[in-house]
Amino acid sequence: MAMKEELIKNAYSEAITAHRSPDKPFLKKSSTGSSEVIFSFRGSWAVKDWYSDKSQRPFGEKKINLKLFPSLRSIGNEEAADVNQAFEERFQLILENPKLKDKVQKAAKDKKQVVFTGHSSGGPIAILATIWFLEEHRKGNIIFSTLPLCLTFGSPLVGSHIFSHALRRENWSGNFIHFVSKYDLIPRVFLASLSANKQKFEKILNFLSQRSKQVPLHLAQDAQDIFTEVMTNALTLTSHVACKLMESTNLLLETVTNFIELSPYRPFGTYVFLNVGGNPVTSDNFNAVLQLLFYSCQPSSDDEVLEIAKRSLGDHHGYESELPNSFRGHNYSSDKSYAYEIDMLNKAADAFGLSTSGRLCLLVAGESEEQKKRNQEKVKSKVTDMERALKEIEHYKNVCELEKVGLYDSFKLQKDQKDFKANVKRLELTGIWDEIIELLKGYKLPDEFEGQRQWIDLGTQYRRLVEPLDIANYYRHLKNEDTGPYMTKGRPRRYRYQQQWREHEKKMEKGSSGESCFWADVEELFCQGNEKDVAKKIQKQVLQWEKEGEIGNDVFLHNSTFVQWWNSLDSEIKLNDIQPLIHG
Amino acid sequence: MEAEASAFETSEMVATFLASTPLVRESWRLCAAASFSTTGFVIEQIGHVGYLAFSSVQTGQAISDPNWARLVPFEAADDVVFGPLMTHGDGDGDGDGDDHQRPVMVHAGLLELFLSLFRSQALQHQILALKEKCKAVVITGHSLGGSAASLSALWLLCHSHLQSVSYSPSVLCISFGSPLLGNKSLSRAILRERWGGNFCHVVSKHDIMPRLLLAPSATLTPQMQLLLQYWHFSMSTTTSQFGNHRNAAAAQLGDQETAELFRFIMAYLENSSSEEAVKNLLFWPFGNYMLYSQEGAICLDNAASVIKMMHLMLMTGSPNDCIQDHLNYGEYVERVSSMYLKQRSFIRAEPPKSTYEAGLALALQSSGIPSQEPAATLAKDCLTMARRLGRTPRLKCAKLAVSLSKIVPYRAQIEWYKASCDESIDQMGYYDAFKRRGSTKRGDQVNMNRHKLAQFWDNVIELWESNQLPYDFHKRAKWVNACQSYKLLVEPLEIAEYYRKGTHLVKGHYLSNGRPRRFQVSDRWWKEGRTNEKENYARTKFTSATQDSCFWARLEEALEWLAILQSEHGEMKQDIWENISKFDKYSRRLVERKEVSKDVLAKNSSYTKWTEELNKLSSPLVSPAPSLPLVQF
Repeated sequence: MAMKEELIKNAYSEAITAHRSPDKPFLKKSSTGSSEVIFSFRGSWAVKDWYSDKSQRPFGEKKINLKLFPSLRSIGNEEAADVNQAFEERFQLILENPKLKDKVQKAAKDKKQVVFTGHSSGGPIAILATIWFLEEHRKGNIIFSTLPLCLTFGSPLVGSHIFSHALRRENWSGNFIHFVSKYDLIPRVFLASLSANKQKFEKILNFLSQRSKQVPLHLAQDAQDIFTEVMTNALTLTSHVACKLMESTNLLLETVTNFIELSPYRPFGTYVFLNVGGNPVTSDNFNAVLQLLFYSCQPSSDDEVLEIAKRSLGDHHGYESELPNSFRGHNYSSDKSYAYEIDMLNKAADAFGLSTSGRLCLLVAGESEEQKKRNQEKVKSKVTDMERALKEIEHYKNVCELEKVGLYDSFKLQKDQKDFKANVKRLELTGIWDEIIELLKGYKLPDEFEGQRQWIDLGTQYRRLVEPLDIANYYRHLKNEDTGPYMTKGRPRRYRYQQQWREHEKKMEKGSSGESCFWADVEELFCQGNEKDVAKKIQKQVLQWEKEGEIGNDVFLHNSTFVQWWNSLDSEIKLNDIQPLIHG
Repeated sequence: MEAEASAFETSEMVATFLASTPLVRESWRLCAAASFSTTGFVIEQIGHVGYLAFSSVQTGQAISDPNWARLVPFEAADDVVFGPLMTHGDGDGDGDGDDHQRPVMVHAGLLELFLSLFRSQALQHQILALKEKCKAVVITGHSLGGSAASLSALWLLCHSHLQSVSYSPSVLCISFGSPLLGNKSLSRAILRERWGGNFCHVVSKHDIMPRLLLAPSATLTPQMQLLLQYWHFSMSTTTSQFGNHRNAAAAQLGDQETAELFRFIMAYLENSSSEEAVKNLLFWPFGNYMLYSQEGAICLDNAASVIKMMHLMLMTGSPNDCIQDHLNYGEYVERVSSMYLKQRSFIRAEPPKSTYEAGLALALQSSGIPSQEPAATLAKDCLTMARRLGRTPRLKCAKLAVSLSKIVPYRAQIEWYKASCDESIDQMGYYDAFKRRGSTKRGDQVNMNRHKLAQFWDNVIELWESNQLPYDFHKRAKWVNACQSYKLLVEPLEIAEYYRKGTHLVKGHYLSNGRPRRFQVSDRWWKEGRTNEKENYARTKFTSATQDSCFWARLEEALEWLAILQSEHGEMKQDIWENISKFDKYSRRLVERKEVSKDVLAKNSSYTKWTEELNKLSSPLVSPAPSLPLVQF
């Protein structure tokens, strides 16, 4: 992505103008003839707008509102992003006024490039607005032809690592560009706990609100204290993250996390570090950026600490002189070569004159992304095996149907050699999928994985065919009596993941793609007695799934567990539409 | 293999992490305060972390014992229980020789010192109260105080182990310049319990105290006494008083003695670098060692590397350093934790070839060994020795999922075997059928499967205990469940084989002497995941596998009791009757709750026969058993 020269400067000047209009929630600027519309959000200098009064957490974070931002989660892991509570509250307040939505909608309709921008704590609002805009598009509420841009200047961190993960998965990550001045404290401030330093931070914000670049004498000590506090916490976090990325197995790392609080916040998108008198340093590797946030402003001696501490406040308002004339950003793409990535990181290390530790930390961040790609290659190499095994189970299903005992019931009986063989195939597939799930659980596959059509389809095919076998096995061995119902106590994670992938891709309601596991509900109703509503719901769903071809004919063989259950139903619960489907 | 070896040397990074937290600094501050307290320890709460610091000034047997490097087992602690560290048998039927069998031992004097504190000060109560009040507890101490801290932490870990069966509770022991505490078996037991991450021993570059016990100290006792006295005196005096008395105390410990001590220790350390000598060391480090120098710190969790690095770092010192450094922890801690904030220059002759080399050079620099010194090459070798060679834990675990899917069919075949035994005309269930099997092809096949499954699970547990799998592996439902199903189905066959071969006549009964470790570990995984769950699902049918996998082992013992009673007719043995009654009550409850699978109740199963025999024996016609109201069906 190449950006027009003036765009960065225009956006910055809009962001600053927004600060000066405290009564307006946002500003909109569209020069005639220009193809862009810039929406800018002002910052706030009140502590409560950085650290919510309602927050009980040391870092002021909360689970994000998934109604507003449904994509901001890790799908299979069911982990919602953390977001700074104060920022989310402020954004929701702005959104309550329909003006923003109207104007943005109009700009999109006019086929304009929508740009969101903000300086300081205006940055987080611009970020959330951009994500909201993208989510609205995904839901089909807003239609646009050009992806929006988000430019922030000296913005504090907003959310957890799920931001980076989810935005990459949705392919939105490349649209966020954050400019950070080499020493600016604010982009780093949330690496330390604000609740522990509230009073000092209040003084700092008060100073920043005056937009002065000179730190007065009486603030020098506070500046140094808070700078040291932020940097110490940043070091704890960055060294912990680096140890984890280096795959250190030292159990001390786990023990110590029970004793200290680590910041949940992580960068995402593309960062442009403005380097005084040098070329800006760019990176879209969130782990590398995290390391740079610490290492780029590390003092080289005791004498330097006070000076840098002062600059860390003064430079928050000094962006215009350092902004690059042009910016050749790059979209995040997974096929960037390893050599290129490492080269970029080495250049970044050179540009800032990083210490060996700093350089190593950058390289490990690069290496970990590369490892994810290698893992994906390995997994891909097993696709043919998976397809072959699926075909064999498909064949087994057909044989069962010819013998008039459906797949589910035949497998549950385990009478013949063919059932045993199908079990071996089932286990083979289990192994491969569990390997994938294990990697996903640790975020060891590229972030895009759970959004890729190939895997969603393969997962759905596998789930529809093989999950009934798992359920049959479960109830055959009476595991429901050992541990409880399959759905709550026994369902393997792989099927949960795959169901959620499909539901996310097709924007379905959570839990609505359960065509592979209704057998478990039937078994439970069979042995626990029928609950009227549940029984009706299952029948309706089965009819629906049958219509869409998502379940097989074998379900309706006259001696199948399903049909037997259906026969046992009281006539008032029974849906008679099932009757004509029964055969065999 | 090389491609999968770790690409990074992490000892320096782990030390950076730890030094950047307030834990080490606060611990030292409290250690210093404790040395002037009258009770010998202080307790303080900072945030949600509770600190307990022991004074470095300790007196008593520990110091005056002329034979002070004596080792004793934990049983010597008498009423103070160190559960999993006690020397009970491993139960590992395969018995793999040498030091696996050696009991866990600790320094007699240090244990006694700890016990005297523990008993006299109601310390036990205070530790538990602190743990109750604070989410996380740091136990710390300098010098001999550090030994007390280590033992307190061990006791607390053992205690939590007994209470809640939860692994790695929030207890962290930080010791400063403490002597070695126990033998290699202790080190191994701590690894196996996965408590290595709960101990961090801070050792300064030249301090001789933590290195003393790497040499047999019997010959050194007189010098030792003087040394301890000198240190004690220095530690219990404030700095202003210190100056005046310093010379007097130092005078007792002459230059010559000091030099001799240093030479002696160095000579031993030199020798102990050979592999053979390392094996014969009496004392052995455990947990993490954080080695401080003026230039930084490194953190190691590999015991062999710790021994070697302690030697190499001492080589750069002088006799006087090695005594003074024991008193310099405050300085080291302050210096190093403020150092990391600043950029450290890194001098190197040539650019490192790889990220691993770069990390190695960094670690070397932080350990204060100049790269031109001969020790540098040795130190590099030593750090490389601890390098992880295989895949990363996460990848290993992912791969293991595939291996599991290949091994499960063997279990499925055993399930078939079990079902076919239930249907067979013999009507004796798979336990008895397997125990009495002739040499049939099917029996051999099942036995082979049993072996393969055992091998697989032994390997998994070995990987887990040696920390090669993700740290939360034992909490993953997939693995806990798979291991549990394996245990429920196959352990009866292990028991059958044990009694079939008559192993119980040689080694004693299965339950107390023959149960393989894999099943014990499986029990713990299963229980840990289930601490909050109620277990009362009403069963409608008998389970597919008996829920107590040791049921048959209990029955074998009950069979023996019954035989004793039958043979010695006249004389009734009260306690045997009681045992039988207990088992009878227990087994009937299992049957009532349908927690046994139907093979237990097969017409010709050992259990059915046992109940029949018991009925005969206790039927009123034969000999009424007054204390046995429960036997009637």
